[in-house]
Amino acid sequence: MARYIVRRILWGVLMLAIVSAVVFVMFYVFPSADPAELRAGRNASPQQVETIRHALGLDKPIYEQYWEYMKGIVLHFDFGYSYQSSADVRTLILDRLPATIWLVTGAAILWLLMGLPVGIISAIKRRSPLDRATMVTSLAFISAPVFWLGLVALYLFADGVGKLPIFPGQGSYITANTIPEKADSMILPWFVLAAASAAIYARYLRSSMIDVMSEDYIRTARAKGVPERSVIMRHGVRSAITPIVTLLGLDVGVLLAGNAILTETVFNIPGVGRLVFTSIERSDLPVIQGVTLFGAFFIIVFNLIVDIAYAYLDPRVRYR
Amino acid sequence: MRLRWLKVLVPVLAVAGLAVALASCGGGGGGEEESVTSSKFAPPTAPPDNAQKGGTLTVISSGDVDYIDPGAAYYQYTYMIDGALDRPLLSWPPDETQRPQPDLAEGEDLSSDGKTLTFKLKSGIKYSPPVNREVKSADVKYAIERALLPGVANGYVAAYLGDIEGFKEAEAAAKEDPTTAPDISGIETPDDRTIVFHLTQSTGLTAEQALSLPISSPVPEEYAKQYDAENPSTYGENQVNVGPYMLESYSPGKEINLVRNPNWDPSTDYRPAYLDKINVESGFTDTVSATKKILAGNAEINGDFSPPAQGVKLAATQYADQMTLTPSGGNRYIALNTSEPPFDDINIRKAVIANSDRTALVATRGGPLVGPVATHFIPPEIPGFEEAGGLKGPPDLDFVQNPQGDPNLAADYMKKAGFDSGKCEGSVCDITMVGENQPPDKDSAEVAKSQFEELGFNVNLQEVNGDVMYTKFCNVPKNEPNVCPNVGWIKDFNDGQAILDVPFNGASIVPSNNSNWPLLDDKSINEAMDKAKLLTDPDQRAEAWGKVDADIMAQAPAIPWIWDNQANLASSDVAVVINKFNATADLSFTSLTK
Repeated sequence: MARYIVRRILWGVLMLAIVSAVVFVMFYVFPSADPAELRAGRNASPQQVETIRHALGLDKPIYEQYWEYMKGIVLHFDFGYSYQSSADVRTLILDRLPATIWLVTGAAILWLLMGLPVGIISAIKRRSPLDRATMVTSLAFISAPVFWLGLVALYLFADGVGKLPIFPGQGSYITANTIPEKADSMILPWFVLAAASAAIYARYLRSSMIDVMSEDYIRTARAKGVPERSVIMRHGVRSAITPIVTLLGLDVGVLLAGNAILTETVFNIPGVGRLVFTSIERSDLPVIQGVTLFGAFFIIVFNLIVDIAYAYLDPRVRYR
Repeated sequence: MRLRWLKVLVPVLAVAGLAVALASCGGGGGGEEESVTSSKFAPPTAPPDNAQKGGTLTVISSGDVDYIDPGAAYYQYTYMIDGALDRPLLSWPPDETQRPQPDLAEGEDLSSDGKTLTFKLKSGIKYSPPVNREVKSADVKYAIERALLPGVANGYVAAYLGDIEGFKEAEAAAKEDPTTAPDISGIETPDDRTIVFHLTQSTGLTAEQALSLPISSPVPEEYAKQYDAENPSTYGENQVNVGPYMLESYSPGKEINLVRNPNWDPSTDYRPAYLDKINVESGFTDTVSATKKILAGNAEINGDFSPPAQGVKLAATQYADQMTLTPSGGNRYIALNTSEPPFDDINIRKAVIANSDRTALVATRGGPLVGPVATHFIPPEIPGFEEAGGLKGPPDLDFVQNPQGDPNLAADYMKKAGFDSGKCEGSVCDITMVGENQPPDKDSAEVAKSQFEELGFNVNLQEVNGDVMYTKFCNVPKNEPNVCPNVGWIKDFNDGQAILDVPFNGASIVPSNNSNWPLLDDKSINEAMDKAKLLTDPDQRAEAWGKVDADIMAQAPAIPWIWDNQANLASSDVAVVINKFNATADLSFTSLTK
């Protein structure tokens, strides 16, 4: 197992290098705004623009720019400065990360708490009215765009603008100082972000449980007199949950990488997703690069955690 | 400056059909539009007699300041915040729109030849902690010199202060050593309270106006140089202030917190500074929700966004006391590339302008409440506006007289251009247009496209991100399309030069970062502008620049279609005071009522 982990870490480092090179080339080669002109402003003379271009190192060959950038990261953990705000990229990302972690962690707990029981019960009570109702509802939540759900949630429940103003509204995370206040401000965003994922997880688990519950070893366990609850939870769910674990690892990694952008925008949560969106709008390459690398890092780490978790969940899996 | 101020982020649920409702709400358009200052949404420019001290105001914004560093700031929204933190040599009290008034300076003297500008600084003005000492004239000199550093990168210093003696040498020195602010020899500080600017030309009035911007707010060199040695400079986050407030904290894209400056002496300042604290919160990209939050909430005002059409209607109909409309000092126009066919033909350009239904373009931004139909380029309340024809426009230019378009007149001009049918025919009519991909600019571009097509043009409209539109297409003459539909200009200060020189002077055409989008290069207009820049009498300048505006319009290089009003919102418990120069709330005069 240790050798496996080391091998995966080394592959992860290589992946990060490839991702950084691809992003660098993409924004260098494809049409995007000129960062030197954006930095110089509207009335700047050509000489000023060139002075800034030189100061930012943008007049160097692309491979030299990339080399300097990677040297800064590896030796100093320095991701450079935003072309737009001149803020340190590492500080920008680390400043935004807690909000995204709050959002994703809470939402993940919620969608597991909602989706897994629904999936199990639907599988056990297959084709019952309850099963049909939950599956139709889950389809509705999967189909509803998250930004639409978010806006509806605000207009219904948000303080100040909602019909039933029982939850804090847009921007309440920024003004929250204590942990209870932060949690309070996240209730609506958690439910909005969790809704579609809970529905997907319910459907996945239902499908997986249906397959597993028809296996021979389940029939054997029943034949041996194992209580039905144990058959379902210890034998059925344990086998059926492995694809859910894969999904969870990917989902959390991707959301931490900035994919919660729509929820963050609707609820004005200053997270990583919003940061990368505004950076793409402004062609702020250092920030885009930084967020992409952070995102790739999270995805690689969570994939590794998932793979290690398999070894504990499924005794048949052994890593060398 | 290029029109960045009026950034309106229309959310997914914005309703386009409000244009009709708003048109009936706001009265007639075009030349008969009454001045917005006399309407029920006129901005208050003085605090109430019973204004109360204390409290915390929250400014709700969709985006962030461009730069928190006053030396780099070049954005109306940033000026709103800088106005509470900093004190330039001159500044604009809320009701002043003609000439800036002494602020850090107690007086100024412009020599009769317009080449020497002398300021005497007030005494007793001190920096916020940790510097704490009294301001001296060398600090103002340093503030301007550091603007040349690439790590600060001020966007207007060369345009407006480039005539200071020794400026070019200083620029070269900054390129050689980007970590040390260069010396500009033409800025003299004979003693701690006197600063003298020696100019190579008689552009003293222009320099005076530029010195009303944050660039001349003092910066202590002994404290700032450590931050300015970095690239980019980190002085902004660590700045010290001389205004009634100081920067407590800045988190880019998230929040800015201002608290009272303990070293501020109110006897040296015209600002009353009622509030104890000002919190700026960014990221409210859903401006409909943000509008509702402000109107229904407490102690809040809008920051960088104008409410979208739906928000304007809500405010105008249900919260009329909580919205004000102020001329922003900006225009919007559709630039026609005059350097190549088909728009190198003046008759075709006149036809396009005659045909354009400018009220339909105004409707894309919400209707008459958001601004009168433009008939030339200098906006209302800027000297030269009346001289150029006022709301009705230059009277001898028939092609701008009908804001709803005059297809018959357009056809006549097309015939003069050689198109007997009155419409464009042939391959010369295949034109490209590059516009923005976000509403409402996207909507304006699409309306413009349909109006060009009515005249027989085949329009290839490409919609791209705003920054790409400028830096890859419209700002690069060799890549410039036939039409740039989403351009405009907003004044840097209240003078015709600030509106017309960069966008229409042939000498300002550059290979990149170009803002003369029509690529207009008319020798007589260029000469008239160069003469007008040197005038030192304000009335003569207004006359001269008004004539330049009319002459530019006579060349038909663009379709001006709106002079924007800036809509400002406030919660019911905010006694907002609007600064007419900046068209935003003046944080130093605004107070809470309970």
